[in-house]
Amino acid sequence: MSSLRKIIVLLLVLLAFGALRLKFERQMLTEFRDAGLMREQNHLESRDRIDQTSSAVALGGLRTLVATFLNLRAHGYFERQAWNELQDTYETIVNLAPQTRYYWETGSWHMAYNAASYYLHESSRPPLRRKELWRSSILQGRYFLERGIGNNPRDWSLHASLGHMLRDPNKLPAMRDRDAALMAAHEAYDRSVELGCFSPMLNQRLSLYCLARVRGRESEALALARTLHEDPRHHKPTLLILLYVLEFDADPDQDAGALALRIFGDAKTAYEALAHHWRGNREGYPMDGVAQGLARMEGLLGIPPLQSILGQKLAPGFNPDDWFK
Amino acid sequence: MAICPLPSPCAQFILRFIMANDAPAVEITDLVKEFKTTMRGRPLRAVDQVSLRIMPGEVYGLIGPNGSGKSTTMKALLGLLAPTAGSCKIFGRDSIKVDSRQDVGFLPENPYFYKHLTGGETLRFYGRLCGLGGSVLRERIEVLLELVDLKDARDRRVGGYSKGMLQRIGLAQAMIQHPRLVILDEPTAGVDPVGSREIRDLVLKLRDQGITVFLCSHLLEQVQEVCDRVGIIFAGKLIREGKLEELIAIEDQTEVIIRHADSALVSRIEEIIQSSDGAELVQTGKPRTTLERLFLKEIKRDHQS
Amino acid sequence: MSESTPTPAFKASHASRMVTLSLHAFTQLVRMKVFYFLAVFAVIVIGSNFFDMAQHQGPESVGANVLRNIKSWSLGAMALFAVVISIVATALLLPRDIEDRTLYTVLAKPVPRIDYLVGRLMGVLLLVFVSLAVMDLLMVAALHLRTGMVMEMQEKMAVGRGWPEEAIQSLKQETLASGVNWQLQAAVLAIFLKVAVMAAICLSVSTFSTSTLFTTVVSFLIFFIGHFQADALDFYLKGVEAGTSTFSQYLALGFSLFIPNFQLFNVVDGLVQNQPITLLMVGKLVMMACYYVLLYTLLAWWIFSDKEV
Repeated sequence: MSSLRKIIVLLLVLLAFGALRLKFERQMLTEFRDAGLMREQNHLESRDRIDQTSSAVALGGLRTLVATFLNLRAHGYFERQAWNELQDTYETIVNLAPQTRYYWETGSWHMAYNAASYYLHESSRPPLRRKELWRSSILQGRYFLERGIGNNPRDWSLHASLGHMLRDPNKLPAMRDRDAALMAAHEAYDRSVELGCFSPMLNQRLSLYCLARVRGRESEALALARTLHEDPRHHKPTLLILLYVLEFDADPDQDAGALALRIFGDAKTAYEALAHHWRGNREGYPMDGVAQGLARMEGLLGIPPLQSILGQKLAPGFNPDDWFK
Repeated sequence: MAICPLPSPCAQFILRFIMANDAPAVEITDLVKEFKTTMRGRPLRAVDQVSLRIMPGEVYGLIGPNGSGKSTTMKALLGLLAPTAGSCKIFGRDSIKVDSRQDVGFLPENPYFYKHLTGGETLRFYGRLCGLGGSVLRERIEVLLELVDLKDARDRRVGGYSKGMLQRIGLAQAMIQHPRLVILDEPTAGVDPVGSREIRDLVLKLRDQGITVFLCSHLLEQVQEVCDRVGIIFAGKLIREGKLEELIAIEDQTEVIIRHADSALVSRIEEIIQSSDGAELVQTGKPRTTLERLFLKEIKRDHQS
Repeated sequence: MSESTPTPAFKASHASRMVTLSLHAFTQLVRMKVFYFLAVFAVIVIGSNFFDMAQHQGPESVGANVLRNIKSWSLGAMALFAVVISIVATALLLPRDIEDRTLYTVLAKPVPRIDYLVGRLMGVLLLVFVSLAVMDLLMVAALHLRTGMVMEMQEKMAVGRGWPEEAIQSLKQETLASGVNWQLQAAVLAIFLKVAVMAAICLSVSTFSTSTLFTTVVSFLIFFIGHFQADALDFYLKGVEAGTSTFSQYLALGFSLFIPNFQLFNVVDGLVQNQPITLLMVGKLVMMACYYVLLYTLLAWWIFSDKEV
């Protein structure tokens, strides 16, 4: 057979076999993408951000390897405190390895904690500028983590990490809507419990602690607190104090002393818990009935009025604006 | 061979059987092979209407200068090239078919075997390709290594073999599957006189065993020593063919060689020739040995001393 | 040999010839000392243990990055080595046989050309298979050792932070699942299948190529281009809506028909990130690989069948 005829037959065979396999391959690709084994081709943005060699390697099915190398580069940026470059790098990393929890968590940690802390203390800039940078870092960290959850909705750890971030008293002031943020934290903790987190009991309590601070949700918080209280393993100081304040908020006319004794068991324990709550409440938990309860316990314990905690000057309030003066 | 005219299937079967057993070992009919040179240029006709026939048990030499078409003819016979026209058959089977090579052993020109294999491994490899195995193959390897005098080098890698050793291992692999036809392309090219002699002795042994040998060479003296029939190929055409003795005999001359003849006897012989009608004395003198024979004789003497 | 003996009838089957040729190719490649690269691989696996970076150190995160690093680096190195070896080894075999004229002696025996090609291909695949198996063992060993160390560290940290026992057990389970698992083996299989397809393509190219270098370069080009095949198909299918020219669309279609889709075998990343894979999916991958290998081997045979050597 002449060479030309041979080439033509060869091309026709390749075309025919190509047509045969196309449909099946597309089905397979869709199936694999749905199963999370594959994703869409590298987006243009990430192709721009990685050099040609890395693109080639990523293309060759080794995205996670490129992500690993970029993670090394990101660590370098962290050490040099080059936050913009670090953020860009993490954007690329999660594009390459979107199902790796570690990268979402570490990226958001760098933004919301390390970068924010840097801007908090960095004195070369004007206070307003520092505050804005601090705030935007925290919001970027939150947004990054939420995207991680979008990519990995069944990862309990990402939900828990979001909860930790949003309930953090050092981060909460950065949120525009405090109540919405606390509500989001509450929902995140609940989701982490549903998805099988390591410490379900802890996360249930943390969920309550967030809900208890949301204005207008006191009755829901009380119902949750009562439910958790049924299990003696949940009898931690914060839960007990929240149960007390929520019970008092629901019925302000009840005897605060009787309520405290019922919840805490004895006057001394009640007094210590209530006094601790009175002195320092950075998280901004409700204070309903605390003063009344303290007065009753002081009476029961014979604490003279001069030594009453109610007369002591409280620590100044928690005001983030003071950080930038 | 009696040809039976009976049309019955039985007779035809018997006829085919007889003819098959008398089938030529090699039958090349009007072989033409052209190679394309450039896109538009005329094709190069390397082999031009070559026909030859080698009967079983013969030693046939195809001689010609470099580039005359010898190797191309051999490759066409082995199915390594497809003929442009004509046909090649080995024991009645078309040489394009793989089966035809079951009975063929081939030693290429300047053979180059897999350097990473030892001599023994080389023979084992080719033997397995031909269907040998187990103890049959092991015994065959021993016999062949003994035959080609490479027993001591069996565990040495072929990459370290000398030219002569390569030729010998090549011969051994050509014979691994007891072929009925052995094709040798320039078997003594580049080999020293001792090695050449050994190869030629081997060829004669093969003939004695009834194995057909088809060899190509441009070393005419060596062909002369072993071949029964010779074909001369030049510029792709077979220009002369026939029995060696008939081809090289100078028909109108007679050679007489006498030992211990004195000058008186020589004079008397000269007188007789001069007195006879038609005969003419062409030459007298001492016959000459060949440089090769002298060389071998000296080596042998040196070994013995 | 003194007496003339009747010729014994020897006849090898296709399978036995292919096995002979494949073992021969394997031996040839091994004696070229290709396995020395395994030492380099061992260094990579060990080295990947040492990339531990600052992170928010809770028990659930400590050491987890190292396990992923080991997997990522090991599988990356395996993929790289396997592709390079398969292309270079396949590209080398046929031209070398032609150049050295060893091909004459093989084809002068009753060896059909298909047996020769399949045998050589199988030899390369055997080499790649053994290499991947050894690398897999090294990776599994490193991962197993490190997983144990990570779990120990995590337990210590969790106990120090007062985690309840059931939480510690859950953490251990999760860490174990991130270590040695069946997904890793599926990833290694995916690498092997991709490499097998590549070797078959390289074999086809080598049947008409004039040199090892040309075959190697073209094969690597096809390898990279093959990762864009899905892009080209998407371009064709969405071309009408996007208003692209008919010529561009058909060019893209032609491209996607001719070039194999290597993206199909890029499940390694998902598997490194512990995404599950079913046996059915693995079966489909194997089937696609067999389809491509068969196609390209037959094409190679068709080209090689009347090649004049």
